[in-house]
Amino acid sequence: MSLQYHLKLSPGDVAPYVLLPGDPGRVPLVASLWEESHEVASNREYVTFTGTYKGVPISCTSTGIGCPSTAIAMEELGRVGATTFVRIGTCGTFQDRVRTGDIAIFDSAARYDGASRLYAPIEFPAVADHDVVNAAIAAGRELGFPFHVGTTRTADSFYAMHPRPGSSFAGYWQSWWREHFADLKRMNVLAAEMEASVIFVLARIWGLRAGGIAVVLDNVLKVSSESGDFDPQQQFDHGGDEIERLARMGSEVVRILAERDGAA
Amino acid sequence: MSLQYHVRLSPGDVAPAVLLPGDPGRVEVVASLWEEARHVASNREYVTFTGTYRGVPISCTSTGIGSPSTAIALEELARVGATTFVRIGTCGSLQERVRVGDVAILDSAIRADGTSQLYAPLEFPAVAHHEVVDAAIGAATELGVRHHVGTTFSTDLFYVPEAGSAFGGYEQSGWRERYADVARTNALAAEMEAGALMVLSRIWGLRGGAIALVADVAGEKDASGAFDPQATFDVSEEPIERLALVGCETVRILADRDGVRSSA
Repeated sequence: MSLQYHLKLSPGDVAPYVLLPGDPGRVPLVASLWEESHEVASNREYVTFTGTYKGVPISCTSTGIGCPSTAIAMEELGRVGATTFVRIGTCGTFQDRVRTGDIAIFDSAARYDGASRLYAPIEFPAVADHDVVNAAIAAGRELGFPFHVGTTRTADSFYAMHPRPGSSFAGYWQSWWREHFADLKRMNVLAAEMEASVIFVLARIWGLRAGGIAVVLDNVLKVSSESGDFDPQQQFDHGGDEIERLARMGSEVVRILAERDGAA
Repeated sequence: MSLQYHVRLSPGDVAPAVLLPGDPGRVEVVASLWEEARHVASNREYVTFTGTYRGVPISCTSTGIGSPSTAIALEELARVGATTFVRIGTCGSLQERVRVGDVAILDSAIRADGTSQLYAPLEFPAVAHHEVVDAAIGAATELGVRHHVGTTFSTDLFYVPEAGSAFGGYEQSGWRERYADVARTNALAAEMEAGALMVLSRIWGLRGGAIALVADVAGEKDASGAFDPQATFDVSEEPIERLALVGCETVRILADRDGVRSSA
């Protein structure tokens, strides 16, 4: 197994610990927090940097949006030697106690995606590794970031399934979308995003470790349920430094894991 | 809300942390490890003892076999004040590395049960609370008990969907690779209650987790190719007491850490 078809990575190109943002544009930003880093590969939506953070070898590869491209990244990263995957992304929340700018630590995911079902039946749990969850909690405390631990709803759609017409183009809507978000809130689901479930399922079936953290950009029930209009460009709260905070926390999660792995 | 219909408990009758074996006959064995214990109620398959273990208030309620009776126990226990549920049961191993006599700490479950689907759709993960997982790892480590952390297959069938297991040789073609496929997903164990316990705890915002003693290798047959649990299962007294001790220590560690957190 040498050069990988999509990621353009070979064994030796990545550290055992890989941060996974969705956006390829964020990879250089993450790597800028490390004391040493270099670009290893860039192809399609997959950009990889490898370097050192506080003495710990670390990589960051973008997955693109959604579980299909994320599954390809996981498959190829696994082949070149990655063993611990930490998703760093953005999310919405269903819970009023969670505010924009807070960090959501995902210990599990509701599997509203297609890719993970092709690997394991829907009964199978999308669950993070407890080492990664613990390291994320420790990193959140150490950095003083407000955080919440819970389940994310991973879905294959960004614009569909909102409670009222207005989220999908031209007012397209289905009646069974009406209570979907409200039901998720009732199930105590913390967040909504688009990649965690497949990362958790694949890592688990391969015996590898995964986890995920995300910065909260919006309350999905509040954003679209009053008028039904959904305009993320206007409504999402990108205050400025939240992506840098997310990148720092992800890097700290890797440092804490590496320390604890060494001590074990 | 006063006296509960099935478990025959009222508020004040149980501690916040409850151990949950399936077998009503094992409740007294568990309570015999505490410095103080009293029998609170007995009705149908539900037997409850409440007492003190190393200074920590603790209860033990049997659930009966399977998710339907377990869901009733959880609904009624929550109404009378239980907030942390730790299942202590037996399981079959799905992996060669997991041997009879080992303890499986179940951090998540494959939802092959009926009950949990009536509460939340199958996309929703059956995941243990990370504090319970950590406390169980702490307890097993401290007691020197060989343990594994991973996913369980929570099924509504004991006489498993395999040739030679169901009465009269009854089988279905879809059963042939069922257990082999589950084992390929890296699941550790098979049992009958953890999935529902984890889903219900999570949707209510309570803490749930499960510890199980490996009593057999799932799918193991006797010399004639038949499934005979009476002949092949190891449910002797010593390993069951070890399981009970890991459960009690898990509750003690949780209480210690909860106390540390509230004073911090």
